[in-house]
Amino acid sequence: MNTEEQGDVFRDALASLRAEIRRRVAPRSGDAEASEEREAPAFDWVALIEDLRRRLGQLGMRERSGEVDDFGFDPETVRSARPLLDFLRRRWWRVEVLGLEHVPDDRAVLFVANHSGLLPWDGLLLSDTIAAEHGEVRRPRFLIADWLITLPFVQPALARLGGVRACRENAERLLEAGLSVIAFPEGVKGAAKTFRDRYRLQRFGRGGAVRLALAADVPIVPVAIVGAEEAHPILFKVETPARALGLPFLPVTPTFPWLGPFGALPLPAKWVISFGEPLAEAKRGAEAASDDLLVARLTEELRGEVQRLVKEALRVRQGVFA
Amino acid sequence: MAKSIAITGLRTFLGRRLAERLVLLPGVRVIGLDRLRPHGLASGVHFRDVDLTRPGAGSALADHFHKDDVEVVVHLAFRREPTPDLEGDHELETIGSLHVLHACAGAGVPRLVVGSTTMVYGPYPDNPNFLGEEHPLRGHPHAHSVQNRVEMERLVADWTARHRGTSVTVLRPCWIVGPTYRDAVTRYLARRVVPTLLGYDPLLQLVHEEDCLDVFERAATGHHPGVFNVVAPGVVPLSTLLRRAGKRILPVPPAILYRLRAYPSQAQTGDRPEGFYDYLRYLWVADGRRGWEEFGRPLYSTREAWMSAVSAERMRSYR
Repeated sequence: MNTEEQGDVFRDALASLRAEIRRRVAPRSGDAEASEEREAPAFDWVALIEDLRRRLGQLGMRERSGEVDDFGFDPETVRSARPLLDFLRRRWWRVEVLGLEHVPDDRAVLFVANHSGLLPWDGLLLSDTIAAEHGEVRRPRFLIADWLITLPFVQPALARLGGVRACRENAERLLEAGLSVIAFPEGVKGAAKTFRDRYRLQRFGRGGAVRLALAADVPIVPVAIVGAEEAHPILFKVETPARALGLPFLPVTPTFPWLGPFGALPLPAKWVISFGEPLAEAKRGAEAASDDLLVARLTEELRGEVQRLVKEALRVRQGVFA
Repeated sequence: MAKSIAITGLRTFLGRRLAERLVLLPGVRVIGLDRLRPHGLASGVHFRDVDLTRPGAGSALADHFHKDDVEVVVHLAFRREPTPDLEGDHELETIGSLHVLHACAGAGVPRLVVGSTTMVYGPYPDNPNFLGEEHPLRGHPHAHSVQNRVEMERLVADWTARHRGTSVTVLRPCWIVGPTYRDAVTRYLARRVVPTLLGYDPLLQLVHEEDCLDVFERAATGHHPGVFNVVAPGVVPLSTLLRRAGKRILPVPPAILYRLRAYPSQAQTGDRPEGFYDYLRYLWVADGRRGWEEFGRPLYSTREAWMSAVSAERMRSYR
């Protein structure tokens, strides 16, 4: 007996079963009704429209960003963006994570990472990676540069996904609330560096990140993010037309502005996220935070550590698009 | 001898409702001051007519404070919403406040409570997510009413530094909502189709009218020197507020909205549209923790306050 015959037998059995069920379920419905049923239009427009209306309503319900926390983070938005985030993490950038054992999963942490790329993909992906490993409760908030705050659409979207404007008050309050924070002390200088300077760390601000962690008594975990540089490689920057638009600069990448809005799509470079060991501070607390020399020394140490991690991660990565 | 509490701006929402509350307290004598006698004045409130826009208002006020032996002055004589009469608004809100300060100094009033608003911080992209009371008051250059309050606050701060004998409480409520509160903001939010700025969805903070009155009552009857934000816990994005109320949202590009001289079908404010719509563009959420510690936590969160206002609106729409 070949498979085709088997299929035929199976189909016959199903048909008889269906007939049997129909006979048993509707024995009381008279012949009149049965014929009416047969004559009813094949397509019920009213039902279809009702169904569409209901679905439309549900669509509205689903995208309703309801409850946000104090910083505008909306777990519902993250849930609906989950397929996209997973796609970016697993398929598009094939993020490889190293040294995750260095991240304490029971307390707030200040992550300090190298910054690159114009849109804060690095912050979003890093926070998503940590949330994927340590659960949504421990999802860190990433700090975003001022100029992104003024951009329409970008700002609300980033806020719902866990972005918070980078300033001392916000970071303090987040750490106080027991939330981890991702800081990019290089700031706009890091995001705006050209492709030639890729993976060369810029100055680490004025030591604000270290001061913050000392005052809040949270461990500092250095993080290297490799691959975000190639997602938006800036060939060179133009400043005059950017000023007219109120932006700090206008980047020229291999795809932007040549492909118009599609140029904003990031390139599928291979990513490596590497966590280092938490920084060992001799002392902590408010007085350590006001010790300028200590803060400067730790900041330099931290910068060196992130740079070392970046180099290491670059060695791990076989090639840019490997 | 009953304690005398004077309220300037008896005809304002806060003034009237505060007077009605204070009158019920034992051992409190309420003196209400305004330009005209309000309709349906609660019995027990002693009315005195004073026009704060007149040049001699300071000494007239001082006379009243002196005669009635006033212990607490609650200064609430502010316009409920900006009017096109920019000069008049300035005379009342800034210069009028100056008269009140002079009168308090002249009559040696021991305590002063001033009503301001969190709008004085101003909406700016570089605001932190929560504005503490010490944050500079930047106001908004195109919101004249807010600028008047900023100037008023500066006068009060200056005056407080010079008059150590008077304890001054400055209360900054955020946008007030509730079943009975009405102003330009609630009117904007009550529209069936609400224009918003395309691409912006700021977090907003509201306070319920009763919670706000609670704080003013406590400030008037107790000793709470300092500056306090009067806000409810929690923030809600503008879009969620409007959807919860079943409104239609009409996102308009800011470039177009800002070119319309006044926001449509609203009372003319005499301001450029930025003066209102920038408050729906950038963050200006205030940190309420200091106030909650001092006066207790509000009963309504931002969302509950909004729902209370919305359900009252719905009840009214059933005739």
